[in-house]
Amino acid sequence: MTAVPAGLLLLTGAGTGLVGALLGIGGGVFLVPILTLVLGVPIRAAIAASLISVIATASASATVNLNRGLVNMRLGLVLEVATSVGGLAGGITAAHLTHRQLFLTFAATLAVMGVLMAARSRRRNVLPDSSAAEPGLLGGRLREGSTTYMYRVKRLPVGLLASLLAGAISGLLGLGGGIVKVPFLNTFCGIPIRVAAATSTFMIGVTAAASAFIYFSRGDVVLPMAAAVCLGALPASLLGAHLSDRVQARSLKILMAVVLLAVGARMAVAGL
Amino acid sequence: MSAGRASLERPVSLERTIEVVLTAGLLASAALLLAGLTLHRPALLKWGILILMSTPVARVVVVTVGLLREKDWLFAAVSLWILAVLGSSLYLASGR
Repeated sequence: MTAVPAGLLLLTGAGTGLVGALLGIGGGVFLVPILTLVLGVPIRAAIAASLISVIATASASATVNLNRGLVNMRLGLVLEVATSVGGLAGGITAAHLTHRQLFLTFAATLAVMGVLMAARSRRRNVLPDSSAAEPGLLGGRLREGSTTYMYRVKRLPVGLLASLLAGAISGLLGLGGGIVKVPFLNTFCGIPIRVAAATSTFMIGVTAAASAFIYFSRGDVVLPMAAAVCLGALPASLLGAHLSDRVQARSLKILMAVVLLAVGARMAVAGL
Repeated sequence: MSAGRASLERPVSLERTIEVVLTAGLLASAALLLAGLTLHRPALLKWGILILMSTPVARVVVVTVGLLREKDWLFAAVSLWILAVLGSSLYLASGR
């Protein structure tokens, strides 16, 4: 294994952890390409390190988001059911797809979601809270400044399907799957972007852990590398989670759209 | 519906417990990873990473127990399912 300087790994972990926590994703979607394409780390080791870093970022930002009351735990639990099954299914189907097909499918998915996210960036999912309105079993409330908003969960089957897909992608490519869940939950299920991102951080630790143990037992975890990346990611993701409060919902959506399109393009290039 | 609403607002203490468990797991693993890297001790790194990977599992256990204690059977069942999936992943991993 070529020795990548620990400082560089710390910085990489910090960068991906910061952006990941800001967006409510684990950051694996950036970490895997940076580790493999820029730092020359073998793909399996990169995926294993990414999974562990995703756990660190997701758990650290989940603590901040829980404290803020942004996490919709019930919704997270219901979606975790689909995500975990997806992870299992992803691991099984991975064998039947070529590398190229995987990359291209992934690129297309990201591109479609990036466009959707950009197109809907002005639209708000929340309603002013009134005693007459009921958020339902899975909906909830959200405070922004001095105003309380309410949201209902729409199209739960779509959310479950997206979580299944996210889990499958996680199983295939070693990501937490937040990059799929957050845009879907926001665009199709009526979940406010902040709640979608916070609930995603709550879920993806579990998604990543499910496959991380298997990678660990296979010996794919290069200990010093994974450790350096995680040590960078931990403080940076706490910072990112704190900062996400100050960023406007619309900016978050646009940042997410840009990220989706950029990563999608990179994936397409890798697949062609 | 009112029962559902009441329990929607209750699990604040459960959320606190989750925060504590996550924070403890992260602090313990960060300390081990830092020590392992500076002292060049692979054993410390291994334990740091294992604790980090177990943090989400501990989180699911806490949620399951919390929901059972609240007698929220529906969501406790959901949480138990997730625990079962994680358990089978651990089983698969340990069997290799």
